[in-house]
Amino acid sequence: MIKIPYLAALTTLFSYGLLFVFGQLRDFFRKIFDYWSHSKLQGYAPICLGLEDFYIRRLYLRIQDCFNRPISSPPDAWFDVVERISNDNNKTLKRTTKVSRNFPQAPAVLGLMEALQPCIPNWRSVWRIFVGKPAAVVFGMGYVTNSAILPVLIGKGGLIISDSLNHKSIINGARGSGATVRVFQHNTPYHLEKVLREQIAEGQPRTHRPWKKIIVVVEGIYSMEGELCKLPEIVAICKKSKAYVYLDEAHSVGAVGKTGRGVCELLGVDTADVDIMMGTFTKSFGSCGGYIAGSKELIKYLKYTCPAHVYATSISPPAAQQIISSIKVILGEDGSSRGAQKLARIRENCNFFRSELQKMGFEVLGDNDSPVMPIMLYNPSKIPAFSRECLKQNVAVVTVAFPATPLLLARARICISAAHTKEDLIKALEVISRVGDLIGIKYFPAEPKKQQLEETRVKFE
Amino acid sequence: MANLYVQAMQPTDLNRNTEWFTYPGVWTTYILILFFSWLVVLSVFGCSPGMAWTIVHLSHFAVTYQFFHWKKGTPFAEDQGVYNRLTWWEQIDNGKQLTRNRKFLLVVPVVLYLIASHTTDYQHPMLFLNTLAVFILVVAKFPHMHKVRIFGINADQ
Repeated sequence: MIKIPYLAALTTLFSYGLLFVFGQLRDFFRKIFDYWSHSKLQGYAPICLGLEDFYIRRLYLRIQDCFNRPISSPPDAWFDVVERISNDNNKTLKRTTKVSRNFPQAPAVLGLMEALQPCIPNWRSVWRIFVGKPAAVVFGMGYVTNSAILPVLIGKGGLIISDSLNHKSIINGARGSGATVRVFQHNTPYHLEKVLREQIAEGQPRTHRPWKKIIVVVEGIYSMEGELCKLPEIVAICKKSKAYVYLDEAHSVGAVGKTGRGVCELLGVDTADVDIMMGTFTKSFGSCGGYIAGSKELIKYLKYTCPAHVYATSISPPAAQQIISSIKVILGEDGSSRGAQKLARIRENCNFFRSELQKMGFEVLGDNDSPVMPIMLYNPSKIPAFSRECLKQNVAVVTVAFPATPLLLARARICISAAHTKEDLIKALEVISRVGDLIGIKYFPAEPKKQQLEETRVKFE
Repeated sequence: MANLYVQAMQPTDLNRNTEWFTYPGVWTTYILILFFSWLVVLSVFGCSPGMAWTIVHLSHFAVTYQFFHWKKGTPFAEDQGVYNRLTWWEQIDNGKQLTRNRKFLLVVPVVLYLIASHTTDYQHPMLFLNTLAVFILVVAKFPHMHKVRIFGINADQ
């Protein structure tokens, strides 16, 4: 449920309409000009069919300098962003040799990108202990984990029910599996139950035979909303209907929960109730790759059938060792309490940042304790405005627009890391507040500062 | 006005091309755009209100026919061309007929036609052009016309 100010909705729709109309006009004139100029490629089929690349050419390329900024230092609390210039109105960007030191708001969650040591074998056992499942298998890439596992787990005659805001890798895997895909309203267990009952009653599409298998796919923390999944209710519903639960913990493993074990620990769900747990090592462990954890039979089956395991190379040794070292730090097995400190600090940081942003009047999505904080922008013109203004003041923000988010709900996504100190956060808050005033994204009324003084006076007494 | 908020449920439409139509404020924006374009036409051409409504009606016909019933597919490549044979009208609401959105989009050209013909006092040739426009639009939006290509017009190769 998002609360949109009505005027913002109207103006956003109007701006998108205007951008669309301008894009169509430019395409029309481009077609006329190209008709007169000779094309050297006679008889070749066009690369793009019809309208396919319209969004990229006419909308995305105009603000291309706000996305995919290259960095030239390891991810940490502060890093160097390479500056780019464009001579042809953002159609192409050229890297310059200048770098600017920026304070990033991007996913490097636990700040564990330090020390790589020589590789040690047998580390999957360490992982099993961490996640709490009998067996696990690891892949070299997180996206591939989802898109290669779902086709192996389920095929034609099966049913996949996925949350409406699931990540593209899940959608890709679900489409590639050949099973019927149904979508339930984001994080609404009541609607999931309705869809499940309807589908079980109807059966397979034309034959109406019972489904061979039903898998419900949810994510731990939704990357674009920062919301935690309502896991206890969803697991209860799936148990009742005998459907399997597939939990994607890309953002939540290592970051939430008292010892960092993910959303199951935070919400008190027994890991034996979740049939397949998937996650990635890119966010919290500072490495790359993905894993699947489940029962011994499941993992044995996957090892024999999944093409991402059978035909691909294994995860590289430095990445593996980075993961082992990170787990040891999180669990506290390396002797220091760095892990526990970092977990406590990330919780403090994200709760502090979120409450401050909300007090200033920004519309911030997500639950408490979640390190992902999207600030709603809505208007397509505010995306480059926010991004460029913040970059000028040395804060690099990640803005997300269509198609990663729904068309109208463009946002700036902020991820808090344990490597950020309180001073850094306060500085970032000031910059964001100033830019927010300039752009006009404080959609909610700000809480007056007087309230804060009264609170501290009461505490003192 | 700035303090008016609406709650928006996340839509369950997987097709990003049509999902924006389920958000609040779309119908109001559509009607407001039509009204403001009438004002613009009146101020630019300086014609009678009836002529202005006729111009708005006919250009609305041209624009909506082109984008709803002629152009097929989606303006981005992420959906791997699943909708390449469907026009926008056939894509909305996942192909379900007679939903609230479809009924609204059917009513708008008819209301425009009534306003245009009333304000021009039912004179020819405006009446003929308006009637032709609304006839084409309404027939194109019938549930029976879903995925029908008459005489192979706009069919794929």
